[in-house]
Amino acid sequence: MVCKMAMFMDLNVNFTKDKKTLQNIIETAAHLGYSTVAINYTLESQQKKPEIPKPTSISDLFTKLPVVQGRSRPIRVLSRLTVVATDPSHFRPNAEYKAFDLVAVFPKTEKLFHAACMTFEVDIICVTVTEKQPFHFKRAPVNGAIDRGVFFEIVYTPAIRDSTMRRYTIGNSLGLMETCKGKGVILSSGAEKPLELRGPYDIANLGLVFGLSEGDAKAAVSTNCRSVVLNGETRTTAFGIIRTMKKPPPAPTASEEDKSEERENSAAKRAKMEH
Amino acid sequence: MEEPAAFERLVYKNASNFHYMKICLVLENGSRNIEAAQFKQLIVSGLRQLYGEVGAAFPFDLLKFDPGTLTGILRVYNSGLVKLWSALTLIGSYQNELCAVRVTQVSPFLLALSGNSRELELDQASPTGEKLLLT
Repeated sequence: MVCKMAMFMDLNVNFTKDKKTLQNIIETAAHLGYSTVAINYTLESQQKKPEIPKPTSISDLFTKLPVVQGRSRPIRVLSRLTVVATDPSHFRPNAEYKAFDLVAVFPKTEKLFHAACMTFEVDIICVTVTEKQPFHFKRAPVNGAIDRGVFFEIVYTPAIRDSTMRRYTIGNSLGLMETCKGKGVILSSGAEKPLELRGPYDIANLGLVFGLSEGDAKAAVSTNCRSVVLNGETRTTAFGIIRTMKKPPPAPTASEEDKSEERENSAAKRAKMEH
Repeated sequence: MEEPAAFERLVYKNASNFHYMKICLVLENGSRNIEAAQFKQLIVSGLRQLYGEVGAAFPFDLLKFDPGTLTGILRVYNSGLVKLWSALTLIGSYQNELCAVRVTQVSPFLLALSGNSRELELDQASPTGEKLLLT
C-alpha cells in the first residue's frame, strides 16, 4: 500500500468577479502547498428574490492549472455554495445546489443551527467569526452534526484583518471547542486577496490558539477537509452507491444510449424513493 | 565469568533548547527597504497584539536578516514556538500596507535551514531523476 502524505485543502476562497485576483489566489494557494481549493459563492437570502449563482468553470480561469508545491501535480479547484440563512425557508435544496461540489449553510439563529446540524443536507456549517456568537452551542445538535459527518468551519481571514474580529474568532471557536472537543472542525481562509492566505502548517499551528489539540489542528486542514469533499461527492448520488450522470455530448448511437441512461436514472430514483 | 548484558534503554531526547525559523516577509506593493530593527519591531508588535505585554516580553532573537529578500532567521525557545508562530501568522499589515509572513522552514537545528529540499530541482533529462541539481 502506498502511504499517502496528508493533503492540505482550503475549502473557502471567496469568489470575486476580478479574474486576475482569483487566479492570483489560486496560484498562491498552490505555491503554499494546498492541493485542493474551493471557490466560495455566497447566497444572501435577505434580498427579495435571491439569485443562485452559477459556478464559473475552471477552464475559464486557467488553461493550465498551477502545480502544487512539493507534489508536482496540478491543484484541484472545487466550487462551493454558502447559503446564509436567517429563516428556515432560505435553505431550499434544489437542482441548482447540485451544480456545486460543496454546499455550506450559515445559520444565524439557534433554531436554524439546530436544523442545520440535524436535518439539512449540507457538508459544512459556518461558525460566526465577525461578531459575538448570538447563541450557545448545545451538545445535542453539535454531536448530531458530527455523527452525520457534517463539519463546522472556522474562517481565519477576519482574524488577520482586524484585532476586534480576532477576539471574536478566538472566542467563538473556544466556545465551539468546549462542546465539540475538537472533533468535526475544519479551518479555512475565506481569503479575498492572495496575501490573506497562510500556509497549511501555519494554520495547523494557529489551530492550537483556537483551542484544538495538535492532532485535531492538523486534521482540520487535511483529513477533515477530505471527508467534507467526499461527503459532497456522495450528496449527488443515491446513498453513495449509484450515481447518474449525463453522457458527454458526442453520442454516435443516440437511441440505444438514451435508453440505458433512462434505465440508470430510474434505478437511482427508485432507490431514493425507497429510502 | 562476565555477567550477561543488562537490558538498557536509551531514549534520545531532543537536546536542543531552541527552534529556528526561516521566515520571509511579503508586502503588497513589492519589497522596500526595511531594516532588521524594524522587522523585529513588527514581530514584537504582532506578539503584543495577540498576547499582550507578557507576550511581547518573551525572548526570541533575529539571528540574520537579509533586507534585499526580506528573509530572516529567528531563534526561539521551544516553549515559545507556538506563541511566536501564531503571532507571525496573524500579522496582516505593516505600516498600513497588506503583508504576510511566510514561514519557509522550522527546525530544532540551525544547520537544517541551510538547504531546502523543496527548492531542489530534479534533473528532467534523466528518466529516474536520480541526479539532483542544487540551485
